[in-house]
Amino acid sequence: MLSTNPFERRLQFSGVLLILGLLVEAVCLFWTRPIAFVLFLCVGGLLLGFGILLFLFSLVSRDHAQP
Amino acid sequence: MVLTSSLLLLLIAVTAVLIAVLVFRPGLTSSQGGKILAFFVLFLLPLICLGMGTNYHIERSKQTQFCLSCHEMEPYGKSLMVDDPAHLAAAHFQNHRVPAGEACFTCHTTYAMFGDIRAKMHGLRHVYIHYLRTPPAPEDIRLYDPFNNRECLHCHLGARSFEEGAVHNGDPDLLPAVKANKLSCLSSGCHEVVHNVGSLKDAKFWKGAP
Repeated sequence: MLSTNPFERRLQFSGVLLILGLLVEAVCLFWTRPIAFVLFLCVGGLLLGFGILLFLFSLVSRDHAQP
Repeated sequence: MVLTSSLLLLLIAVTAVLIAVLVFRPGLTSSQGGKILAFFVLFLLPLICLGMGTNYHIERSKQTQFCLSCHEMEPYGKSLMVDDPAHLAAAHFQNHRVPAGEACFTCHTTYAMFGDIRAKMHGLRHVYIHYLRTPPAPEDIRLYDPFNNRECLHCHLGARSFEEGAVHNGDPDLLPAVKANKLSCLSSGCHEVVHNVGSLKDAKFWKGAP
């Protein structure tokens, strides 16, 4: 399942984080309590943020630069 | 609001599916098209989802229903239905002087730069107190700062009933003092009955529009 290529593996990790973040975001949409806003920001936002950062990191990482 | 949430949900679903494709087939990114797809799916779309989601939550947090979803606010919601025009909050809510769907936010936000952000920060503090501290009894809840006339004047300034009202013009010093925030609109003898949640037991209630 996990790729042996470091660049692709990072993309996969990034994708998993993003999917989890999106799931949290989707759940919070249906929950009309103030805690939903906090969860959306603190859990969903962090997961999405880390996912995006990991994707950006994978683009500039050394493994990717090497042929 | 329903349309926005449906659109956002659709966008989240599409983004998640596209990400799943890349997770299961990361080899797709070896081609130029795959790299462009990865940029859209792993960067742009999640950012758009995050931005739209934040905006959705901020807009939702302005709703009266949202504020009243905490049980501490229940008596305040009840005070909006008091059948007495002397009750300031009730009179504004029942006569749609404030949008009924955003009644709390309309009066309790600050009409100054960063007012909305300040209101949201207070909201986050309320959530913290609600879950991790002991919230005060509803009748003991106080405003952070004395109510600023600016919030009333945001709508009333220049309105004929406000500028030419007999009581407001009875004393020539009154209106300038109110406009300069030197005399509160909520002063004793003026509009002092606002929510008064401590005395709701004996109040008569309006049942709402048919």
